[in-house]
Amino acid sequence: MTIWFRILLFLAAILSLQLVLRNIRKSKLLISDSLFWIFFSAILVILAIFPQIAYVVSDLLGIQSPVNLVYLVIIALLIWRVFKLYLRVSSMDTKLKELAQRIALNEKATHSK
Amino acid sequence: MRTLIIIPAYNESQNIVRVVDNLIQNFPQYDYVVINDGSHDQTAQICRDHSYCLIDQPINLGLAGAFQTGMKYAMQNHYDAAIQFDGDGQHRPEFIGAMEEKIKEGYDVVIGSRFVSAEKPKTLRMLGNNLIETFIHMTTHKTITDPTSGMRMFSRRVIRILATEINYGPEPDTIAHLIRSGAKVCEVQVKMDDRIAGESYLNLSRSIRYMATICISIVFIGWFRQKVDLGKEEVLS
Repeated sequence: MTIWFRILLFLAAILSLQLVLRNIRKSKLLISDSLFWIFFSAILVILAIFPQIAYVVSDLLGIQSPVNLVYLVIIALLIWRVFKLYLRVSSMDTKLKELAQRIALNEKATHSK
Repeated sequence: MRTLIIIPAYNESQNIVRVVDNLIQNFPQYDYVVINDGSHDQTAQICRDHSYCLIDQPINLGLAGAFQTGMKYAMQNHYDAAIQFDGDGQHRPEFIGAMEEKIKEGYDVVIGSRFVSAEKPKTLRMLGNNLIETFIHMTTHKTITDPTSGMRMFSRRVIRILATEINYGPEPDTIAHLIRSGAKVCEVQVKMDDRIAGESYLNLSRSIRYMATICISIVFIGWFRQKVDLGKEEVLS
């Protein structure tokens, strides 16, 4: 991992953290939803400051370049997050449907009285 | 002074009658409202059968959502104070009077604490309680002996904030942030009962997640959050 790559990682982490905090400040992001991004940034910062971790783990897994391990970690985290997001969307779909049905049924009940 | 008791209820069919009947029979001076949070059991039907004061949410919004519904109801109906009260009978209404007195003295948040004068037991659960107490003390220089107590009373100017803002759920990080924003917070010694029926929401993985969220919210995010404008202090008679 070159020094430039480490600086890039670090900057990416700070930028994403700043984005998250700004949106909490503007009351647009729930604190419980920000947790992932804070951990995500923390992992990037740790990898940028201690690249030895990436070297050791990539050796263990037989990955040729530690940079690839960093990519792998980022991709894995993002895939996991996307899946969680899908779960959220599904549950929101269901709730929205239930709400609309309940409102429609209530309206029918009040009109036919 | 008009006080509203907010009882969020999720699948509390085994407890709700005992809790509400006790309020109606022994504490008629308080208004109450049951917020049914989209329960899968008979909670809503039981409340209707007993003609309790009920707000029936068609879907499950979680404790924070149900709590906020109660706060919106309190705001709409101009209550001077509102107290969060467990649907499972852990909280005892005989302590509400003492908490009201503190609101009258001008406090914004009154916490029904198990540990003002009593010792905190050394269990795993209380380790979490202690950790949150430490973090709140670190960031606000105020000692809250029982930050995870679910029995909290709020003044009118805080009700407005809890009813309308996001990220003001009924959790210790909200208390910490309100202290930072200049709210006056105090505690009153109370006793709590153990759950009689039903099971607790918190299991191990949820507990870890809960602790992580609350702690990071208090020590880290708190620094960056916008302080909330509490408005004028109100004098109650």
